[in-house]
Amino acid sequence: MQDALDLKPTTWRSTLEAGTTTRLRVFAATLVLCVLASAAFASWIPLPVSIITVFLFAGPHNWFELRYFLMRLPVRFGRSRNFFITAFAGLAVLTCTYFSLPLIYRLSPNSNEWWLTVIAVWNTLFLGWLAVLVWLRSKQKPRSNWTWFLPLTFALCAFNWFSPDFFSLALVYVHPLVALWFLDRHLKRTRPTWVRTYRRCLALLPVVLVLMVWQLQQTTSLPESNGLFWRITQHSGAELLPNVSSHLLVSVHLFLEMLHYGVWLLALPLLGSVVTRSSSGKVWDWKSVPLARHPKGFPKLVGFALGFGVIMVALLWVGFSIDYSTTRDIYFTLAIAHVLAEAPFLLKMI
Amino acid sequence: MKPLLAISCFVLIVLSTAFVVHADIPKPKPSQKSGNTTIFSSLEIVPDPKANNAKLQIHQSDLKALRAALDGQSTNTTLATSISHSGPRTIVAGVLLFLSLSFGGVWLARTSRSGATLNRGQKTVAVLLVTAATLGAAAIITRGNAGPPPAYRWKNLPTALAAGESTAGPVMIEVIPDDPNTGTGMVLTIPLKKKNAQGDDE
Repeated sequence: MQDALDLKPTTWRSTLEAGTTTRLRVFAATLVLCVLASAAFASWIPLPVSIITVFLFAGPHNWFELRYFLMRLPVRFGRSRNFFITAFAGLAVLTCTYFSLPLIYRLSPNSNEWWLTVIAVWNTLFLGWLAVLVWLRSKQKPRSNWTWFLPLTFALCAFNWFSPDFFSLALVYVHPLVALWFLDRHLKRTRPTWVRTYRRCLALLPVVLVLMVWQLQQTTSLPESNGLFWRITQHSGAELLPNVSSHLLVSVHLFLEMLHYGVWLLALPLLGSVVTRSSSGKVWDWKSVPLARHPKGFPKLVGFALGFGVIMVALLWVGFSIDYSTTRDIYFTLAIAHVLAEAPFLLKMI
Repeated sequence: MKPLLAISCFVLIVLSTAFVVHADIPKPKPSQKSGNTTIFSSLEIVPDPKANNAKLQIHQSDLKALRAALDGQSTNTTLATSISHSGPRTIVAGVLLFLSLSFGGVWLARTSRSGATLNRGQKTVAVLLVTAATLGAAAIITRGNAGPPPAYRWKNLPTALAAGESTAGPVMIEVIPDDPNTGTGMVLTIPLKKKNAQGDDE
């Protein structure tokens, strides 16, 4: 007791600062190491690493995203009622229409132009939905001026109508980067002193990308000897960019995907447990989700959603083991739902 | 109420005039579509005094396009050719670009009038908008007016060949059905015009 009374506040403060600095350095070093390791593996043997990465991490990362979104979902929508109704309605409509695209493709006349128009219409609906969400969010933040989003939306729509397939390919490459934005927002809320270091580390990203392009631009294209390899190269845009080495395209896309998985599977869960500092913050404890914990919450619904998610992840692994190519196709079609769901939750964090 | 009535009358008159004018326009000529497939590429003619035989080098992408043409698939595979070749889509894109510029201009004007300074994010958006608008406008202009005709590049071919220099220009690769009367070899047609005594094109 006497020893405790003798402790000086300055000693406490310096010890705390030293601990924070150490953790910040570990965070930055881990981040840089992850970026470099991802780039190295993605450039070295892109096809095998892509197959293994999707097999191992695709399903679990969706489960972690679902949990994160449930954590962010308020018990009562209140002022955000219109925002969330628009978000969920748009999510349902866009996901259903996206699922029906293969059917439309089969039923459509044998015209590439007609198909491109269908894709352009879907992309326009997506951009329109985003614009409405931004507008609804801007009404909740009267101090900020978000009117710039309207001309930007029209410009993106114009680009989409010029070349719908390139716009869709751009979405494939941009989507992994959204996870980095989520991490930025999360740090700003929970660890504001880490944000500057994180952003400095992110400056490494374009440098690594330029190095990858420089190193891989002259490489021979990857073999498309079987259906699976062909699918992977097509997903990265090999058909749209025939003059670019498919090795480069697959590597860059895989690199971004690995960062995406890293954020959802490592960074956000670890930071969450670090921040909450309680046993109830563990990822498998579904009662730690505010939506389930609140007296007026929905514990059964949250428990069912997370339990169903675990079953889906296990089914995905079984599917990958039996028929990797078909399961991959089905997964990337269904995965549009999580791509779309990121938009409203990210907007709520801005 | 009066201005609304006046505007309505004006619109009605303009529309009725448009119908009258449109009625005088003759029917458009039916487009002459050939069954042949055409691929847009480029060709370089290189005179080589050391060569023993004529050689034709084809890029892999062109070969893929040729193969796709033979299979009856779309041949628009390169970046340049995949940018909108569709009239309706180009029109929609142009209208959207116009709206983007219009709303962007209004936003800039309102921001400057209110005296508010642009933050970094808004400046980034402004730069992106201007870039997109410039690229879009460039795309529309190049689609609408593609500069000098393709024949221009081949104008100096005889002089260049005589001087032993290479000449490059656009070329259309056309896959035509076999015809026993015309032989099976390849035909290269160069758009050259005869010159008169003064050296001008006839």
